[in-house]
Amino acid sequence: MAQLERLELVTRKVFRGRMKGERRSKRKGQSVEFADFRSYVPGDDLRSLDWNLYARLDKLIIKLFLEEEDLHFFTLIDSSLSMGFGTPTKLEYAKQLAAALGFVGLIRTDRVRIETLGQLSNQHGPVLRGRKSVWRMLEYLNSIEAGETTSLATGVKNFCLRNAGKGIVVLISDLMDKAGYESALRFLVSQRVDVYVIQVLSQEEIDPDVKGDLKLVDVEDQDIAEITVSAPLLARYKSTLNAFVGGAQEFCNRRGMNYLLANNQTPVKDLIGSYLRRRGLVR
Amino acid sequence: MLEFFYNTLSPWQWGLLALVPPAILALYFLKLKRQPLEVPSTYLWKRSIEDMHVNSLWQRLRQNLLLFLQLLLVALAMLALLRPGWESSKLDGQRFIFLVDNSESMSSTDIDGAKNRLEEAKKLVGGLIDQMDSGMTAMLVSFADTPQVVQEFTNNRRLLRERLETIEPTVRGTDLKGALELADGLANPSRMPIQEGDKEIDVVEAQPATVYIFSDGRFENVKGFSLGNLKPYYIPLGSLEAKNLAITAFTTRRGDAHPERRQAFVQVANFTEAAHKATVELQLDGSFLDAKEVDVPANESAGVVFALADAPPGKLMAKLKYELDTPTKHDVLEQDDIGYAALNDQKPGRVLVVTPGNVALEVALATERAHKLGNIEFQKPDVLTGDTYKRDAESGAYSLIVYDQCAPASAPRSNTLYIGRVPPGRAWRGGDKADAKEDSKSKSEVGKAAADEALPKTSGPQIVDWDRSHPILASVELGNVEIADSIVLQPPPGATVLIDSTAGPIAAVAPRDSYQDAVLGFEIFGQGVDGARTANTNWPRMLSFPTFCLNTLEYLAGGTEDSQLASTRPGQPVELRTTGKVSELTVVDPSKKEHAVRRTAQDVFQFQNTSEVGVYDVKRGDQVVERFAVNLFDRQESDVRVRPTQGGEASTIQPADIKIGNIEVQATLGQTPSRFEAWKIVLGCALFVLILEWYIYNRRVYL
Repeated sequence: MAQLERLELVTRKVFRGRMKGERRSKRKGQSVEFADFRSYVPGDDLRSLDWNLYARLDKLIIKLFLEEEDLHFFTLIDSSLSMGFGTPTKLEYAKQLAAALGFVGLIRTDRVRIETLGQLSNQHGPVLRGRKSVWRMLEYLNSIEAGETTSLATGVKNFCLRNAGKGIVVLISDLMDKAGYESALRFLVSQRVDVYVIQVLSQEEIDPDVKGDLKLVDVEDQDIAEITVSAPLLARYKSTLNAFVGGAQEFCNRRGMNYLLANNQTPVKDLIGSYLRRRGLVR
Repeated sequence: MLEFFYNTLSPWQWGLLALVPPAILALYFLKLKRQPLEVPSTYLWKRSIEDMHVNSLWQRLRQNLLLFLQLLLVALAMLALLRPGWESSKLDGQRFIFLVDNSESMSSTDIDGAKNRLEEAKKLVGGLIDQMDSGMTAMLVSFADTPQVVQEFTNNRRLLRERLETIEPTVRGTDLKGALELADGLANPSRMPIQEGDKEIDVVEAQPATVYIFSDGRFENVKGFSLGNLKPYYIPLGSLEAKNLAITAFTTRRGDAHPERRQAFVQVANFTEAAHKATVELQLDGSFLDAKEVDVPANESAGVVFALADAPPGKLMAKLKYELDTPTKHDVLEQDDIGYAALNDQKPGRVLVVTPGNVALEVALATERAHKLGNIEFQKPDVLTGDTYKRDAESGAYSLIVYDQCAPASAPRSNTLYIGRVPPGRAWRGGDKADAKEDSKSKSEVGKAAADEALPKTSGPQIVDWDRSHPILASVELGNVEIADSIVLQPPPGATVLIDSTAGPIAAVAPRDSYQDAVLGFEIFGQGVDGARTANTNWPRMLSFPTFCLNTLEYLAGGTEDSQLASTRPGQPVELRTTGKVSELTVVDPSKKEHAVRRTAQDVFQFQNTSEVGVYDVKRGDQVVERFAVNLFDRQESDVRVRPTQGGEASTIQPADIKIGNIEVQATLGQTPSRFEAWKIVLGCALFVLILEWYIYNRRVYL
């Protein structure tokens, strides 16, 4: 926790927040720093008129100021059935990750919101701000159970509809959707938020320890795959996995999203301390 | 086809086995039960399987490969059960004669995996019998010193096998020629059907026959025999390095210096390649008497002499004790480590001297020493016509009869010495040239004398040479002996000339059946023309004359009790001599069985059942009057090493071939026709397939 306290969520883009936080936001608001001028348009706030300029130029001009903003930090957790696998379960791992990142945000008085994919569109997760919200955050995280049946794309789309604002979105999922992850991620791109995609996979998925003749049952849609384990099959599976992961990484990189593959065996603090710091998510 | 495969299973077993391949196929075609496993997502797995199905043909092949291997395994197992095989060397011909040697040397225990050589031979013959098919016939003959038909020609294999088991080892020597002649007689039917005991052996038409000789080669090359229709195979049995120590002679004799003290002489032969020490233990009637150590060099013999002193009469047994470096510490043939001899009552032999009067003889035979050697009776020549004489002479009551100036009508059953006369019969009269009438008993003495006139005579023969090495002439000097007249002798074949003169032999000794006849062609005292007694020679005045008389006594009369029946070979008949009017004798053989012996037509006791080695007791009533021993003592049998080929390199020493007539029969070492069983190879392949299948199966799973 102490480590986390030292960190700070960083965003590349300067965003505006609704409250006056510690950040510089591009939004021209009512702070002290002068930013820019704009012609008056009916409907603008009369208080932001710059009377000095009107006296000199005989034009109605609005003075724009840089406003300090707080960061909106969204964590979107995939809590479908497939996340319930692994030791620790992928969902558990995701929750830990969300808790760590959320904690950093709360310490810095960022606005943290944690949601799951299956959340209904009219439902909002709790808005958390400040250190005292840490326990509420943890409580909320604890209550998250695997079992949602919403697809990745639908869940992301709903999220975007709910949260029109800008900020950082961290999507923690295994991306194992039969419909593909591309449409879901495109939704996020269109939001013009800073997107971090953390794909969590269990050790058993990366390096399956199976043998014999098996009937594999998909836990989400009960789909059946009959396999007879052999060395070539395992090799082929691994290469398929690598191709999948590589494909996801490339997709994200092309669209300016950050991608990270996480193994549920890697301790969360290592992930945050080293990897995410390198990536620039934390400072 | 039947030759290639042997059916080893019954039909219902085949039925069961035939169910196995369909069962395997069914198992493969039934849906394979798969274990269900929950996974987070089958997304990637499905993608992987799709990729794999590109090589679906190989996949199907891999799956079917195991099926194929398992079917192959079952097929190989079934093939192995059919016992395929072929003859590595074919049974040659249609008719077979198996000659099995069951002499003493075949009891050697130098065969690995068989009790002795005979058992090994029986095993090999059994293997050959198995090879026979329905068109072939075979005959079994066992041979030692006489052949014996064990089973006549038959194609009944079971019967052959049964009869094969009845062949027992014997303690006889080996005579291959007799066996071959028997086999030949049955194969070459130009001869008459032969009589074997009570049975008449059927003779088959003229067809060649193959003779298989199972022996260890311990016999001489067969001479004077041609194989004719027979095709011989010789299968040697036994090892070239068989080690054997044996007793090859065991006799008792009177000591030279003291005739009343006897000695036992044992000869030990070493049939190994290294010198050995052995101990000869002497037992009398089962109790220990004496023991001596002897060093016997390799391939040689050594003798041991035991002083018997005043040993009472009884059964003597000589036992050979030694330690060899073989695993059993014994040699391979134990039967020849024991020798038997009989120690009889040392009664002096009865000597009859028939003479009209011979002072010199009387004086020479009157000494104490002479009396020790024999009980001497003097009779006049007219006793020769009496019944008492005839009976005693016929029954062999005397050990020696001396005929001086007379001769009997027929030869007696004893050793004889003729002085100035020639024995009756054709043998000494030039053989065939003599008249057959001479043998007639009713011939009178006068007629005899007339016949004697026909013998060549000489006057004043000069003694040229005499046989100094003969026991009769031991220490006898004849250089200054003068003889007036003498018959020139024509000794029969086998005789030893004792004294040779300018005119020819004038003294000789020749064997006659089991007796010896010594003949002096010149009289000591003769009858002159006027009937007065004249001296024919000055010999009686010489010192050599008494010496000669004693030598003769000792040689012909003394020790005969012991040495004549010294050792008989097994199977040979034995003539028992006894005095007095006895109608029946009882012979007790070494296994304590009693046999009754009656006088034969020739008025002697002849005993035939001498097949066992040991000492036999001859009883008259309840009293043992005599003993005799039966031993094999055959060097050929005791040297149990299979005869190696002569010459050649040491590394290639092999059993020698045997020569039958002019034909060399090669020793077919290990080439007896036997069936090459291929099932072992097939089973090995099946095992390999099993391992291969296991490997492939595991490769699917674990790697």
